[in-house]
Amino acid sequence: MSRFDRWMEASSRSVARRTSRRGLLGALGALLVGVGVLPLLPVARGAEKPVKGDEPEAGHPEAQDPTSCNYWRHCAIDGFLCGCCGGSASACPPGTVQSPITWVGTCHNPADGLDYVISYNDCCGKSSCGRCLCNRNEGDMPLYVPFRSNDYDWCTGSSVANIPYHCSTARVLARAT
Amino acid sequence: MSRTVRAAALAAVLVLTCRGHAAASALTPDPLGVVATVPAAASPHWVWVNDVVFAHMSDGQALLVDGDSGRFLGMLSTGFAFARVVLAKDGKVIFSPETYFSRGTRGTRTDVVTLYDPVHLSPVGEIAIPPKRAANMPMMADSELTDDGAFLLIYNFTPAQSITVVDTRSRRFAGEIETPGCALAYPTGPRSFFSICADGALLDVHLDDAGHVTRRIHTRDMFDVSSDPVTEKGVRLGSRWLFVSYGGKVYSVDITPRGLEPGARWSLVSDAERRQNWRPGGLQQLAVHANPDRLYAIMHQGGPETHKDPGKEVWVYDLRRRQRVQRIALRSPAGSIQVTRDDKPLLFAAFMGSTRLEVYDAKSGAYLRSVENLGTTPTLLVTP
Repeated sequence: MSRFDRWMEASSRSVARRTSRRGLLGALGALLVGVGVLPLLPVARGAEKPVKGDEPEAGHPEAQDPTSCNYWRHCAIDGFLCGCCGGSASACPPGTVQSPITWVGTCHNPADGLDYVISYNDCCGKSSCGRCLCNRNEGDMPLYVPFRSNDYDWCTGSSVANIPYHCSTARVLARAT
Repeated sequence: MSRTVRAAALAAVLVLTCRGHAAASALTPDPLGVVATVPAAASPHWVWVNDVVFAHMSDGQALLVDGDSGRFLGMLSTGFAFARVVLAKDGKVIFSPETYFSRGTRGTRTDVVTLYDPVHLSPVGEIAIPPKRAANMPMMADSELTDDGAFLLIYNFTPAQSITVVDTRSRRFAGEIETPGCALAYPTGPRSFFSICADGALLDVHLDDAGHVTRRIHTRDMFDVSSDPVTEKGVRLGSRWLFVSYGGKVYSVDITPRGLEPGARWSLVSDAERRQNWRPGGLQQLAVHANPDRLYAIMHQGGPETHKDPGKEVWVYDLRRRQRVQRIALRSPAGSIQVTRDDKPLLFAAFMGSTRLEVYDAKSGAYLRSVENLGTTPTLLVTP
C-alpha cells in the first residue's frame, strides 16, 4: 500500500468516525436478499419485490451471514458480495486484487451492540462476479463526496487494481467512536 | 371418370397451379454484403439507450430506438464502464468516451473518445485521452459538450479528480484541468463549466479558445450537503441548472453575467406529501422541456435512503409557477426518464432492472408503446 493509499484510508476512517449514521438506522431498508438473478443492479429495487425491514435483530440469522444482503456490515454496500464469489466479507476471491482505496460506512453490529467503521474495498481484475448483488444506501452520498459514495467503481487508483470490478468486501476497520 | 383419369386431371391442375404461382412470386437471390444504414436526418423522437451492462462491464452498449415506431435502428459497442454517448451539436458525429484493456479485462488500459458516423454507426476515428476516465454509475455529467460544441469535457477519478478537455474541432486532446474536491462537468457557456464540490460549493471554470483554464472560482456554498444533499443528476434549461435534493427540494444554479448564483429554492412535494414519504428517486430522475418550461421528476414513496429507488409516477411541474401541473402514472417502475426537445414531445422511461423502454406522450401523459428486450441494464437516455 502506497503512502498515498494509507493517507486515503486514514482520511476515510476519520470522516466515517465523525459521521456516524446510527440516527438513520431506523429507516434501514434491507433489500435484494439472496439475489443471484440478473438483471439486478445497484438500484434495482422495484424490479424485484423488495424485502423491507428494520435493522436486523441480534438473533436474526441473516444479520450474521456474510452472504446475505442483510449482513450487518453491508449497511452501505453496493455490488456483488465477495462471500458469494469465492472470497469472504473481508477477503477477495482467488485471482483478484483488493483495491486499497474505497468508500466507508458506519454500521451497527446487533450481536455486540457496537458501531463499526466498515471499509467496502472492491476486488478487481476480473469480470463481474454476478452473484449476490446487494445495494443498501445508508448514508450514501453523491459522487461529489467520493469517500462516502457507493456509486464509484473503486477498482481505481492502482496499476494493479485498475479497473475491472469483480465484487465488494466489507472489512471492519475500527470501532466508530 | 375412372380413378386413373381423375388422378391425371388432379396432377395437371396442381402442375398448372404451381407454375402459375411460381411465375407470380419467384424470389430473386439476395445480394451478399448489404448493410443497412440509419437515416441521415435524425428524428427528434429517436433515443439512445445507453447500457453499462453491469454483469459484463467490458461490453458497454448504446442502442438507438425510434420512439415513434418502437423500431430498433442499430447499436454501438462502447467498451468498459460505459457511461453514455454525446451527440455533436450539428448531428454529424457521435462522441463516445471509452475504456479498453489489451487483454479484455486485464492488460494495458487505453482510454479514447471514439468518433462514430451516425449513418453507418461505425467508428471513423478516435482521440486518445489520459487513462483516467471515471468509472461510476453512469451520470449525464460524466461527459458533456460546451455550449458551442467545441470542447468535450470528461470527468476523471483516479481518485484524484480532474476534467479531460478534448477539442472537437481539431479532434485532439486539449488538456487536463485539476478539480480537487470537485466532481463532474456541467457546461455553462461556450467556454465554461462547473463541477460540484464536496463542501456544497461549485468550481466555476472558464477556458480560452485552446481549452486551457483562464479563470477558476470556488463559489460560496450552493447546496446543503450535510442534512439534505442534492443529487448530481442535474438538468439544464437555458441559463439554469436545476438540482433536486434527496428530500425533493429544488435548487437552481443561475448562469448570470456576474457568475453562478443561487436561484429560487422550492419543493417538489407539499408538506402533506412529505409526510406520506413522497420523494424523487432513480438514476436519471429528472428531465426538462422548454416552451413551456416543464420539469419532469420520477417520484416514489420511501424512506430517506431510497434516493436511488425507481418510481411508478412522473410528476410534471410548471417551472414559471413552480407548481405541479400533472401526475403521470407509469406502467412500470422507472429509474431513468428523458423528454424529447420538439413541440410534440415524447417521454421515455427505462429502468436498469428491466430491459423495457416505455414511450409516453409527454404532454398528455398517455402511454404509447413499449420496446422490449432492449440491452441488459439500460441506464441513461440521450435524445438528439
